[in-house]
Amino acid sequence: MRILLAEDEPHLCDQVKKLLNAEGRVVDIANNGTDAQYLGTTEPYDMIILDLGLPERDGISVLREWRNAGIKTPVLILTARDGWSERVDGLDAGADDYMTKPFHLPELAARVRAILRRQSGQLNPVIEMGNVMLDTRNGRVTVDDVPVDLTAQEIAVLTYLAHNAGRMIPRTELSEHIYEYDGDRDSNTIAVFINRLRKKLGPDLITTVRGRGYMIDPG
Amino acid sequence: MLSLRQRALVGGLASGALSVIVGTLAVLSYIDSRVSNRIDSALRDRHTQLVVGLSVTTQNPEALRDLMFDPSYSAPYSGRYWQVTSSDGQIFTSTSLFDETIAEPPASPQTVTLWNTPGPEDEALRSAYQKITYEDGTVWGVSVAENQTLLINERLSAQRNLLPVFGLVGLIGVASSLLLMSIIMGPLRKLRTDVTHRWDSDDDLKPTDYPNEVSPLVEDLNQLLRRNRDIVSGSRRHAADLAHALKTPTAILRNELQSMSESGIETNIAQEALDRVDAQLGRSLARLRAMNTAELSHSRTDISHSVDRLTRLFSTIAKRDNKTLEVKRDPDLWVRMDTQDVEEVLGNLLDNAVKWSRSTVRFTAMRQQGCIEICIEDNGPGIPKEAQREALRSGGRLDTSVRGSGLGLAIAVDLLAAYGAHLELGTSDSLGGLKCRVAIPTNIATALM
Repeated sequence: MRILLAEDEPHLCDQVKKLLNAEGRVVDIANNGTDAQYLGTTEPYDMIILDLGLPERDGISVLREWRNAGIKTPVLILTARDGWSERVDGLDAGADDYMTKPFHLPELAARVRAILRRQSGQLNPVIEMGNVMLDTRNGRVTVDDVPVDLTAQEIAVLTYLAHNAGRMIPRTELSEHIYEYDGDRDSNTIAVFINRLRKKLGPDLITTVRGRGYMIDPG
Repeated sequence: MLSLRQRALVGGLASGALSVIVGTLAVLSYIDSRVSNRIDSALRDRHTQLVVGLSVTTQNPEALRDLMFDPSYSAPYSGRYWQVTSSDGQIFTSTSLFDETIAEPPASPQTVTLWNTPGPEDEALRSAYQKITYEDGTVWGVSVAENQTLLINERLSAQRNLLPVFGLVGLIGVASSLLLMSIIMGPLRKLRTDVTHRWDSDDDLKPTDYPNEVSPLVEDLNQLLRRNRDIVSGSRRHAADLAHALKTPTAILRNELQSMSESGIETNIAQEALDRVDAQLGRSLARLRAMNTAELSHSRTDISHSVDRLTRLFSTIAKRDNKTLEVKRDPDLWVRMDTQDVEEVLGNLLDNAVKWSRSTVRFTAMRQQGCIEICIEDNGPGIPKEAQREALRSGGRLDTSVRGSGLGLAIAVDLLAAYGAHLELGTSDSLGGLKCRVAIPTNIATALM
């Protein structure tokens, strides 16, 4: 799952990025409102974490522009503005959740998971795919209750497919959601990750739709 | 200090009274002088007549009584008299003097002298006297006199007749002053009304709507109001910037401490210190906001709009926790309070109620006599009466097991106090939990006095 983090404080960006990477999310960072507006409009993010006090452009105006342009990507506002008027303004502008600084990283991670689950219609943080279980809270995967070690990118591929279980995911879409903006998006590597997942989790978990993409059976 | 209206009244009364007094004195003095001149002229004529009469009767003055044929000279004490005195002191008088005489001036003027002297029966006489030497060598003091009582009575009568007229003139003068003042004060009254309405519309006052003498003041007032608004909004912006500048680093510190704690490093003391920094920051920013609030206290807010916004948010939060938020409100609940402050107060109270309720929160906003009453009740554990004061104290927090700065109720109290509104805690009769009652006066000016 690919997330845009629009935040101008570099240390906070590092902390949040590290947290989300650990859960198998891919994070792009925008340090100002202009970049945030551009990336949010042009890249297919699974969610956006948006600071309201961004340089160049205020977060609320960026959010309104996304919504007016029909971009439905879930947005979590992360801001120092803790007034109720600002919270209501943010949610009325189209945000899905609102967190105020200072915050606890585990709470941010939980809110991000909740938003991504709601987005994919998954109510349970643990996604069950036959004998394979994916715990979205910590990226742990088990097969028949036996833990399996996966790399960060393998988790990213599995998580995206699991959140979109039952839907055929084209390779390009998959690569768009597991690589960062500046990452090397060689779609051939997708096939490598799929093969590794099949080896670790079983050959029947991921179905290849020839010439089109991949799919996990919703079970 | 006297109001302009009082000044106009006092000024009008003073100028009216002065005009009446001066006018009355001037008119009476004029009448006096006209009457005196007339009497003096008549006295001179009668004196001349007596002098001529005596010139033919110097050897037989008694004959003068027949010669001076005016009947008034014959009736005793008639008020009109003549008298001639020879050089050897013999006095001949008109019959009207009966057995009295008229005093003569101490000097012996060679020209006609007019003077006042007492007469018979204490009459106030006006007398004309001259010492004359006739061709036959005899010297005579010749006097004619007339009682002035009539003149005095005439003058008193004129005063009695004229004084009410002058009083009326004075009253008209005062009324005119008031009318004039009222016309002059018109633009100032309009200015006051316009300034009051300006809070509602945020438009500048139009200098062209006022007379030339007032329009520079209107310009200055516009500038002052704009500057005031800029200071307040700038101060709020500064507080928001400060919040952003401080809260982001404390978030970073908190996250670093969390990572260190997860690595087995003891960070409790540092975390507690950071908690204190956060609490102090929250308290200071809230106070800064409440201090600025009074400057905005004229802006009008429709509470019902804010209630709808907030209950939409809290209904979602309550639903997520399987709780219910019941809302009942009157339409058009206007108060003179900044929208953000209204929403901060109601948001804090609703947040507490939803957090602590077991299943139900009830929100009512009603128009009452002189105020808008808002009640937020829940079916949570409530707050014991003895602990309610502590809960309203800045930074007071009763249960540390639930996250929060503990500032919500205290911020609400501070903000409400800035508008002359207040918050009471009690027990909900219908739900059994805490009841927060907020009363916001509809007339802020009265509340803040």
